[in-house]
Amino acid sequence: MKKWLKGFLVLALITGLLAACSNNESSGNEGGDGGEPNGEITIWGWNVAAQSMELAVEGFQEEYPDVEVKVEDIGRLDVYEKLTVGLASGGNGLPDVVLVESDRLANYQNEFPDGLLNLSEMGYDKHESKFGEYKKSVTQDKNGDFFAAPWDIGPTGVFYRTDIFEEAGVNPEDIQTWEDYIEAGKQIKEKTGKKMVPIDIAKDDALYRMMLNQQGTYYFDGEGNIDVTSDASKNAFNVINQLNEEGLVLNNDGWNGVVSATVNGEVATVPFGVWYTGTIMDQAPDQKGQWGVFKLPAFEEGGNRAANLGGSDLVIPSATDNKEAAYAFVEYFTTKVEPQMTALKEKGIFPSLNAAYEEDYFNQESEFFSNQKIFKMFAEQVPEIPAANYTSDYARAFKIMSDTQADILLNGTELDKALKKAADKLESDTGRNVN
Amino acid sequence: MKKNNTLKKISLYVFLVIGVILSVFPFYWMFVGATNPSGEIFSVPPNFLPGDYGWENFKNLNENIGIIRVMGNSLFITLTFTALSTIVCTAAGYAFAKFSFKGRNPIFFLLLVAIMIPYHVTLIPLFEIFAKVDWLNTFQAVILPQIAYPFAIFLMRQNMQAIPDSLLEAARVDGAGEFHIFFRMVLPVMRPALAAVAIFLFMFQWNNFIWPLVVLQSQDMYTLPVALSSLVGMSRIDYGQVMMGTTLSTLPIMIFFLLLQRQFISGILGGSVKE
Repeated sequence: MKKWLKGFLVLALITGLLAACSNNESSGNEGGDGGEPNGEITIWGWNVAAQSMELAVEGFQEEYPDVEVKVEDIGRLDVYEKLTVGLASGGNGLPDVVLVESDRLANYQNEFPDGLLNLSEMGYDKHESKFGEYKKSVTQDKNGDFFAAPWDIGPTGVFYRTDIFEEAGVNPEDIQTWEDYIEAGKQIKEKTGKKMVPIDIAKDDALYRMMLNQQGTYYFDGEGNIDVTSDASKNAFNVINQLNEEGLVLNNDGWNGVVSATVNGEVATVPFGVWYTGTIMDQAPDQKGQWGVFKLPAFEEGGNRAANLGGSDLVIPSATDNKEAAYAFVEYFTTKVEPQMTALKEKGIFPSLNAAYEEDYFNQESEFFSNQKIFKMFAEQVPEIPAANYTSDYARAFKIMSDTQADILLNGTELDKALKKAADKLESDTGRNVN
Repeated sequence: MKKNNTLKKISLYVFLVIGVILSVFPFYWMFVGATNPSGEIFSVPPNFLPGDYGWENFKNLNENIGIIRVMGNSLFITLTFTALSTIVCTAAGYAFAKFSFKGRNPIFFLLLVAIMIPYHVTLIPLFEIFAKVDWLNTFQAVILPQIAYPFAIFLMRQNMQAIPDSLLEAARVDGAGEFHIFFRMVLPVMRPALAAVAIFLFMFQWNNFIWPLVVLQSQDMYTLPVALSSLVGMSRIDYGQVMMGTTLSTLPIMIFFLLLQRQFISGILGGSVKE
C-alpha cells in the first residue's frame, strides 16, 4: 500500500513540476473602465499580414502609449482552426483581434452571431464612406452594421511576360475582351509554344471566381440564392472551357505548381489578385523588367474589367476583456493612411482605404513591371469592383465548383449539365433555393 | 551455374539501388532546398547540388519562428510525454494482461473503441476542460491528454500476454512484491516491446499538430510542427526556410529511431508469434 502511495506522489510531483514550467499568459485588463484605452492586446494574423501589423505598432503607440500590442504570427489555415475552436467553446483562449479573409467572414458571423463584436456600436460607422462598395458588402451584416473592419483588398489583373508577348507579336493593349485573350493565346502558342494560363483544375476555381465577381455575381446572388446556373456563370466557364479546348491551359498541382509554372516561363500570363506581384518578385527576382500587368479582359466590348480576389479584414471576438484597446488598434490600423502605406511598401499588401490611393506612391512606376504604374492600375479598379455575397456556405460552394471545373475541363462533361448538377448538389447540401 | 548466379546478383543489386534512390532522394532534395535560396527549387533545369545558403536560411528561420527555442519546446514536450506515457501504458497493459478484475473485458473493449474515435471530435471538449482549469498555453496541456494512449496500451497488453502466469506465481510464492515483479521481472523481458512503444509515442508527439496548435497561444510556447506551419502564408512562401525547418524536424526522429532500431524491429514481430 505504501508503495502505491509513493508512486502516486511521484506522479503528482511530476505534474506539479510541469505546472511550474508553464508560462501562464496574464491578460492586462485594466482597460474598459472609461478613459484612455490601456493594457495589453494580442492579435492573430499570418505571414506578411502579421508582419504589417507588427510594423504598425510603433505608430499606434504614439497615439495610445498605454496599450501594449502583441502580434502572433500563425499559419493562415491554423488561425481558422484556432478561431473556430475558441468561438465554439464560448470565446476561451481567443486573442483581442483576429485577421480573417473576406470570403470566410460570413461563415463566422453566421455560425457564431454573438462571437464577434459589433464594431458599429463602437463607432465604426463614421468611417463608412472611406471604403468602396465591395469592401462594405463583405464586412457589414444585414442591418448594415460592421462586424469586421475592412483592411486589404485584391483587385485583379492579368500578369504577363513582356518578352513572350513580344516574341509572339502580341500587343497586350489589344486584349480588351476574353475573346481577344483567347486569340492572343492561340497566337502565342503558335509562335512560342507556351501555354496561356496556369490553372489548378481540380482544386482551385480562382479564374472562375474572378469572372463571376467581374460580372457582379458570385456562387450566390444578393439574396443568398444559388446562382451558379446564371448567364454570368455560363459565360465564365465558356471562356475557361474554350481556353482548355485550344490547349492553352496548363493544369497545375496546387499553389506550388502555379508558382513553379510562373517562375519557369511555362505560361505567358497569370490572372490573379494584386498580391501576386509580391510572389513574382520574391520567387523570380531575375525576371525584372520581363513582367507587365493589364486589367482582366471584359466579357463584351467596354464591359467591366474590375474584380477582386482575396483580401482580409479584422474582427474583435466579443470575449475580449479589453475591447476599448482592441477597437483603438483596429480603428487606427484600418482607417489611418500611414499603416496602409507601410504595409504596401514593405509587404506588398494592398489597402482598401480610399484615402490611401491619393498618396504619391500610387503614381510611381515599378521597375520590376517594365516601368508600369501598376499600383495606380489596381487602385483605379477599386471603386468599380462589384459587391459579392460570399455567404456562410462559401467553403462548400468553393469545393463543389472546383469539382465542377474538373468535371467540365477534364471529363469533358457538357457545360449546362455540369452546372445543373452543381446547383442540385449545392441545393441539397445547403438547403438554399436555386435561381 | 556460376554465371547464372552473378546475373541474379547483378539484377538484385540494380533493384536495390533503384529502391535506395527512390527512398533517399526526397531527403536529399529537401537538403538541397534547405541550402539554397527560396526560388531556386523551381529553376529549370533543376539544380541538384546543395548550395551555400543553408546558414542564411537557418538564421532567417531563427529570426522568424525562433527555431532553437521551438526545437527545445518540442524536445521537452516529446521526451516528457514519451517517458510518462510509456510508464502509464505499460502498467495499464500489464494490468489488462495479467490481472483478472471485475469489468476487465468491458473496459478493454471500451479502450478498443477509443482507438476509433477521431481526434477532432475530442478537440472542443478537451479545449474547454483545459480552459476551465486555466491551463491553456501550457506544456502540460499538450502532454497530458494523450498520456493513456489506447493503441500503446493495446500493444503492451498483447506483448505481456506472452509472459507465463506460472513465472509470476512463482515469484509471488517466493514473497516478491507486485512492484518488484513489475519492475524487476516483467519490464526487463519486455524491452523490445517497450522500445517499440517508446518510438511510436515519440513519433506521435513529435509530429502532433492539431492539438498543440489549438491549445498553445504564444509563439515562445510553440512546438516545431506548429511553428513550421506558420511559415506558410497566403501567397508568399520562403521555400528555403521551410525546407531547412523540415530538415531539422526529421533529425530527432532519425536519431531516436536509430538508437532504438534493433529493439523496434524485434518488438513489432514480438506480438505476432506466441510461444
